[in-house]
Amino acid sequence: MPIAAILALTELIAHSTAGTMFELVSALNSGAELLKQHTSNPISLSAGCDLFVAFVTTFAHESKSFFDLKRELVRQGQLYVKEASTSRSKIASLLLDFIPDDSVILTHSHSRVVTHALLHAHKQGNKRFSVYVTEARPLGLGLKTYQILIDAGIPCTVILDSAVAYAIGKVDLVLVGSEAVVESGGLVNAVGSYQMALIAKAANVPFYALAESYKFYRMFPLSQYDLPTHNDEILSLPTSLSSIRKPAMMSENPQLTMSDDQVNKNPGVDYTKPDLITLVFSDIGILTPDGVSLYLVGMFAG
Amino acid sequence: MAAANEASAKPTKKDAPPNIPPPKPVLTKAERRAKQEKDREAKAAAKGNAATNSKPGAAGTKSTSKTSNSNTAVAGPSQISKSTKTPEVTEAAPVKDAVLAAVQSQSVPELRDETRGLRIFSHFGLPKQSGSSNLKGPLHPAIFRLALQFSDFQIVGANARCIATLNAFKTVIRDYVTPPNTTLSRHLMTYLNPQIGHLVNARPLAVSMGNAIRYLKVEISILDIDLPEQDAKDSLCERIDNYIRDHIMVADKVIQDVAGEKIKNGDVILTYAHSSVVQKVLLQAHERGKIFSVIIADSRPLLEGQESLTSFRVLFYLLFIIIYLGKQLLSVLAEAGIQCTYLLLPAVGSIIEEVTIVMFGAHSVQMDGAVYSRAGTALVAMMAKAHSVPVLVCCETHKFSEAVHLDSFNKNELAPTASKHSLDGPDKLRSSDDPNLQILNPLYDLTPPSNITAIVTEVGTIPPTSVSSVPLALGR
Repeated sequence: MPIAAILALTELIAHSTAGTMFELVSALNSGAELLKQHTSNPISLSAGCDLFVAFVTTFAHESKSFFDLKRELVRQGQLYVKEASTSRSKIASLLLDFIPDDSVILTHSHSRVVTHALLHAHKQGNKRFSVYVTEARPLGLGLKTYQILIDAGIPCTVILDSAVAYAIGKVDLVLVGSEAVVESGGLVNAVGSYQMALIAKAANVPFYALAESYKFYRMFPLSQYDLPTHNDEILSLPTSLSSIRKPAMMSENPQLTMSDDQVNKNPGVDYTKPDLITLVFSDIGILTPDGVSLYLVGMFAG
Repeated sequence: MAAANEASAKPTKKDAPPNIPPPKPVLTKAERRAKQEKDREAKAAAKGNAATNSKPGAAGTKSTSKTSNSNTAVAGPSQISKSTKTPEVTEAAPVKDAVLAAVQSQSVPELRDETRGLRIFSHFGLPKQSGSSNLKGPLHPAIFRLALQFSDFQIVGANARCIATLNAFKTVIRDYVTPPNTTLSRHLMTYLNPQIGHLVNARPLAVSMGNAIRYLKVEISILDIDLPEQDAKDSLCERIDNYIRDHIMVADKVIQDVAGEKIKNGDVILTYAHSSVVQKVLLQAHERGKIFSVIIADSRPLLEGQESLTSFRVLFYLLFIIIYLGKQLLSVLAEAGIQCTYLLLPAVGSIIEEVTIVMFGAHSVQMDGAVYSRAGTALVAMMAKAHSVPVLVCCETHKFSEAVHLDSFNKNELAPTASKHSLDGPDKLRSSDDPNLQILNPLYDLTPPSNITAIVTEVGTIPPTSVSSVPLALGR
């Protein structure tokens, strides 16, 4: 998603009629705003937009005319997108040394960078390992990961989200992807990552996060409820008990699954605190959570 | 409203300095010295029976035991007190030795010989009484007045002191005339140094002041040597104004926005003592319609929290009037006006569970992320950490300090003994004149980075570990 945003903004520059830097940046900002409005989860999108706007504003240029500058920016934007597509491979090769032979890996839901890294370790790295993947209710994206890994010939078992603590004793390392890596060095990812990190910490299992550097985002959540995705509906309690149609629900839903309304009261992402994360693997290298914040501060405040 | 706070640099407080010297033309050195002696005596008298006896003579008569260990060479004047104190002296010695170098490097050597009745903490900084004896040059009246305001704690707070200092230097620079056969960029520095020295004598420099002075010195040294004097002076004054605008005023505005975003409706914000930045953040968040309540924790010796409280109350009254006019008294009163609770440090433990955000100001932030702030801050931060309450420190980068201290014993200051908020208790203790009783009122303490969630600066919200990556040039 961040890459799509960068591409869209590059396109915007190419077609923009802006005659000055100020006009261009405000056009970019309003474009980014528009993109954010049309998505339910703006976090990773914002990361891409912010990165690109920061790049444009600080771009050191020698071009004589503004037109040249715009062309140069478009070129740089496309170049970046091209390079970004290689970042997953970089992360995969960095991770290789951290996967011991005969290890058991626990992962959460579906992440393209994690599956890419696992497939790479299996094929190019000739590592033998097996994987537990959580089901990741309510979307069940874990099954997608399961399918991909099984197809590649990696032993894999789907476990319940609630079975993470049960399974952690058999696990050597935890790998998760990320929506965004934030300024505290923490991680925003599909809900369940935080509890997985807590369990991993309690069991002294290393917890590795994989994140392309365009997912680094200048945001500092103080708590779960400080995330931009949080709203009043999430975790809301019924205002009056009479509004709950208990008997009706039981009869029309004998299998005891959650209704859409109930699912909607649940968060899509959560925030993993930096002290729970062992390392962050990104295309700029392997960072500690502190290193992430150093990098972000250096990039945006420098 | 925000500006009013910074304007406290001007002596608006009730007890104005007893005698502000009017800008006088030229005094001989002796005359000036005599005058300063007189001023000081008046000041010392005003301070009453403070243990900060500024005259060496008085220290000898009243607190005989206090001088006994200031120098190991001094023989104990009273046998009894000496025998009771022997173990402490030996304990104190290594501490003293360890800090001696630091003390020597940052203050005039003679301070070492003075104690204020504190055995181990004698290095914390003392009331400066011998400013004139080591004057190296003519002193500007503006600096003289500022020094008095510093030593009387009429101007407190890293920002207020920094602004006041820079404004005073602006006056100094305007009144400065380059002597013949020298150039401004070479001579002004030697002229300013004794002025700075006098300020240090009045009260140790705040980190913010140190950074500002360093900036000023650089600006002076890079002045073009061929620049006409008036132009050079104008340019310097402009630089000073820019420094105040960029590093303090605008920085505060950014911090208000950034920290304000962290305040959500229904939050309970705990703050400690009084910070101009935190005050601005809360007031702005309130103006923007956030509904939250504030708990102000406070403690002796300065009881600065009352200042915060007053400023919020003023707002409350203003709102009251507006509301009254709007005839929506009840409903809006309930929602508007910052609900404040004022309590003392010991009560923090009882209410910390209610708090959603802890917000502090800072005297300075060290490169390792530790925060040097009003004594008691570390305690509140520790408690917040224990209850998983996020701790935000609002601090502009001009207060960032390159020095790293590992604890608050290494470097600290002592609170003024004759504080305007003095209660009876400790003063009574002091007047009982028990040679075995000493009162310690350090002004600052050090909050370790592990107890701080984030530091809100004008370059964004950063974790304490990232302080070192904020380019130094920003604050310098």
